[in-house]
Amino acid sequence: MVNATRTASSNPIGSVLVVGGGIAGVQAALDLADTGYFVHLIEKTSAIGGAMSMLDKTFPTDDCAM
Amino acid sequence: MQNPFEPKILAFLCNWCSYAGADLAGVSRLQYPPNIRVVRVMCSGTVSPHHVIHAFQRGADGVLVAGCHIGDCHYLKGNYMTLKRMKFVQELIRFAGYNPERFRLEWISSAEGVKFAEVVRDFTEKVRSLGPAPSFEASPRLAMGL
Amino acid sequence: MDKCIACGTCAEKCPRKVTDEYNAGLGKRKAAYVKFPQAVPLKYVIDKDHCIYFEKGKCRACEKFCPTQAVNFDDQDREFTLEVGSVILAPGFEPFDPGVYDTYSYSHPNVITSMEFERILSSSGPFEGHLVRPSDHQEPKKIAWLQCVGSRDIHHCDNGYCSGVCCMYAIKEAAIAKEHAGADLNTAIFFMDMRTPGKDFDKYYERAKAEKGVRFIRSRVHSIEPLPGTDDLAIQYVTEDGRITEEVFNLVVLSVGLQISKDTLELAEKLGVEIGDGRFAATSPFQPVQTSRTGIYVCGVFQSPKDIPLSVMEASAAAAESATLLAPARNSLTRKPPELSEKDVAAQEPRVGVFVCHCGVNIAGVVDVEAVADYAETLPGVAYVERNLFTCAQDTQDKMKQIIEEHNLNRIVVAACSPRTHEALFQETLKQAGLNKYLFEMANIRNQGSWVHMNEPEAATEKAKDLVRMAVAKVALQQPLGEMQLGVTKSALVVGGGIAGMTAALTLADQGYPVTLVERKDVLGGHGRKLYSTWDGQPVAPFLDELIKRVEAHPEITVLTKARITDVQGFVGNFHTVLDVDGQRREVDHGVAVIAVGAHSLKPDEYGYGKSDRIFLNLDLDQAIGERDERIVTARSAVFIQCVGSREPDRPYCSRVCCSHSIENALRLKKLNPDMDVYVLYRDIRTFGLRENLYKEARARGVLFIRFDLENKPVVQVASDGTLKVTVKDHVLQRPVVLTPDILTLAGAIVMRESEADELAKMFKVPVNAEGFFLEAHAKLRPVDFATDGVFVAGLAHYPKPTEECIAQAKAAASRAATVLAKDSITAGGVVAVVNKDLCCGCQGCVQCCPFGAIDYLEREGKCEVNQALCKGCGTCAATCPSEAITLLGFSHLQLYAQIDEALSA
Repeated sequence: MVNATRTASSNPIGSVLVVGGGIAGVQAALDLADTGYFVHLIEKTSAIGGAMSMLDKTFPTDDCAM
Repeated sequence: MQNPFEPKILAFLCNWCSYAGADLAGVSRLQYPPNIRVVRVMCSGTVSPHHVIHAFQRGADGVLVAGCHIGDCHYLKGNYMTLKRMKFVQELIRFAGYNPERFRLEWISSAEGVKFAEVVRDFTEKVRSLGPAPSFEASPRLAMGL
Repeated sequence: MDKCIACGTCAEKCPRKVTDEYNAGLGKRKAAYVKFPQAVPLKYVIDKDHCIYFEKGKCRACEKFCPTQAVNFDDQDREFTLEVGSVILAPGFEPFDPGVYDTYSYSHPNVITSMEFERILSSSGPFEGHLVRPSDHQEPKKIAWLQCVGSRDIHHCDNGYCSGVCCMYAIKEAAIAKEHAGADLNTAIFFMDMRTPGKDFDKYYERAKAEKGVRFIRSRVHSIEPLPGTDDLAIQYVTEDGRITEEVFNLVVLSVGLQISKDTLELAEKLGVEIGDGRFAATSPFQPVQTSRTGIYVCGVFQSPKDIPLSVMEASAAAAESATLLAPARNSLTRKPPELSEKDVAAQEPRVGVFVCHCGVNIAGVVDVEAVADYAETLPGVAYVERNLFTCAQDTQDKMKQIIEEHNLNRIVVAACSPRTHEALFQETLKQAGLNKYLFEMANIRNQGSWVHMNEPEAATEKAKDLVRMAVAKVALQQPLGEMQLGVTKSALVVGGGIAGMTAALTLADQGYPVTLVERKDVLGGHGRKLYSTWDGQPVAPFLDELIKRVEAHPEITVLTKARITDVQGFVGNFHTVLDVDGQRREVDHGVAVIAVGAHSLKPDEYGYGKSDRIFLNLDLDQAIGERDERIVTARSAVFIQCVGSREPDRPYCSRVCCSHSIENALRLKKLNPDMDVYVLYRDIRTFGLRENLYKEARARGVLFIRFDLENKPVVQVASDGTLKVTVKDHVLQRPVVLTPDILTLAGAIVMRESEADELAKMFKVPVNAEGFFLEAHAKLRPVDFATDGVFVAGLAHYPKPTEECIAQAKAAASRAATVLAKDSITAGGVVAVVNKDLCCGCQGCVQCCPFGAIDYLEREGKCEVNQALCKGCGTCAATCPSEAITLLGFSHLQLYAQIDEALSA
């Protein structure tokens, strides 16, 4: 049940495709790159950052989103 | 007309708590008097009596040392050292003929932007009320070679 | 793309103006443009759909003026084929388009979405951060926010769910608006339930109410009408007690919800990823980031509506799932970064470069940055000075590298914001430019300058000059610092054997890292043992049993029960922990630690708890319903009281799970006996995200909801014959309602026992917040990290949260921990203490005071010596040494004296 859908190959490919360059995609890409996997990060627009880059400040610390 | 006295205040702030608290005061746009000049140190425990005396020697009207709350030191017990040392500094300043109120030790956490601003406001006003610090030469005991 | 230097000439020369999506349609950009000034990559692009050349076959102005011939009109869309081991979907959301609300006048210029308002507030926005309304660029005096536009609504749209973020951003926007416009600005938020169930969220809400004076009006607004002859808008609404009221506002913000775009749904279909409720990717609470298709994971809003920290957490969780799946192929395709050579500048005279940042108007709006820059040029050792709009921008980094080389600079000062946030960025630039990264200093003229002396521009400018002078004097005395590599113990310690702890342990063990799992009790399972089902009704027990079985059978996991940590030594990559395991001492070496010690349920001291066996906590009720307890089966009426011990003055946080839990149980009671009268007494129903379905169903099945205020809490009386009487003031009827339930359930808070957390926190050198929950490194961007490297947090120990969030966070903590364990070495050195043995008299004062035992006394030489691997760089020794023989590199005595001298020289 915990791993019902996982059928791990013994010889997988060591790279990951991350779809979306918002804060979630960027974090996933960084973690994977830092743990030894090659990452293809694809983003539809001309810059990464997603919705967060449009925010002025963030709740609840009022940190600058940029 | 003579300019009103604007005290010069030097502050040693530890990187992890008090400097961050000062940053937070900025993020929160809390306003305080611009008389303070900050020296960032990694831990308040790295401020020695020499540094404080040197500041008075160079014309500081007040000196503030601020670190993490006791028990919260990023380096576990650096601020206990600060506490011990600064008690000594207080006595040293009194001995040298300075009003010990020109020196202040505070614990300000990274979340206490409000406290930082309040401390700076309060201390600046205190030092302003004390007037200019006597010059180094005017303190015979300091001049004797402390 | 490689040729573009982001000079912006193309955009300047481009004759075509286009609506700017980045500014939410409020501004214009050109057809040749860069998305925003800090864009990564910082490259200009041509918008083919609006470019005159692509429309009419002529123009090419950008090409003509481009100084680097970077414009290529022949560029075509190209197709790539990638072979990958797994896919992570993080496509995000689209803000709801409020045009379909025909009574909200969205076509009116002064009715805007929350996204548009964000841009208005932003200093990089269409009005440079001046809070003005679109119609006449006048400052509004009165602004309204309307909540739940495109959320919790199945009439105008098909978004029955709660978007989970709008309450928070609306409060934030109102509070920041007041910061911009002053306290006189009248702000009103119209809402149904105020949903601020995250860490520190309620405190912000209370502050906005009490300190900032933001008005909160509980009402769903029907229509927004333009007021004839003005640019203002009239809002008619019904107050809670039934009065019809009208107010006029200068600007109305629609708090639009999050929804999944058509593009994303098409992509999901192409990939064979199943879509579930609310058009979000179908997942299970037990596998929150696993889609219906093996090897494809999901994170962020496509998983379900959520805020930034949860998105970041899930992103790390998805990375962990990928890493686990692909563990045999780790490091097979990665490339090593090039070794950067470092110029030897130790013997050179200082040539300091000073970069003064405008930070948009953040600094330049107060400080005369030009005067500061001119002044910097006069300082000794300064060889180059320039000003930047944003010194932190990627293009400035490239420029800085170039300037360092061209002007042969060997020390850099950036006068901008705080080294706490930006030092690392600039140090990386120095490295890229071949300079030792320690030859750098920041002057904090924003956080400790312009922002705190907003009304004293002259004094702020003088202070900025002083800070620059101090920084220049300090950096001139700085020498390059060396670093060394330390090995990493490639194993983990997980503290806490609940769902979070076990999940973190398994995630690391499945990647091949040995894990020691420490549990205080004699069994694994923690809080999970008491849980009956997830919010969507899946039973927890079978999952938990399977989880425990896998943990206990895993060859890489050592389970220690009845175990307590007594001491922790070392640092990231090299921890050494002492345990007491059922009376036996045990020592473990590990490279990382995950703290997942859980929390506790509050035993209430109010509402008659303990005075009747008909008064339950939700967890007890779970069990009683499961066992078909006599008291439940015979009950004809039931009452739930929410926020018991939560959202109170001395516990000012929301426990996040209780609304869903009570409503779940209310539904179970209704299913057991549809005729039972079930009441939920609440303050705000916080069924965030897809949980809103529960709330909807409960109302449909006749569960009655009565709201109360903190000032008018329900009163419970237990009569001598055991009957229960609950009195509550109904806000709609405006009078007390008396209920006589057969069973009463209290939705008690989730609390930390502070002494426990404190002890662990001290040993691992990590902080806890005022309520005793462990405090992460950054509320938004580092939700599972601590400021202390190598230690991570997951589960209830961080904040109350439901099972699926505990699991996601545990996987995230494992992912972050794996970033340490995947490395062969960790860099140490840099800012450490050193002994000048010529001056050392061997008094050993430093040995005594070092908190880390990093200083040894060398008997033979009669001198002291610092172990750089253990030194954490506090400098306490340096202040102790009577002859100043010890100094902290980067904060040397000479540098401190220089800073003092310069600070006081003006």
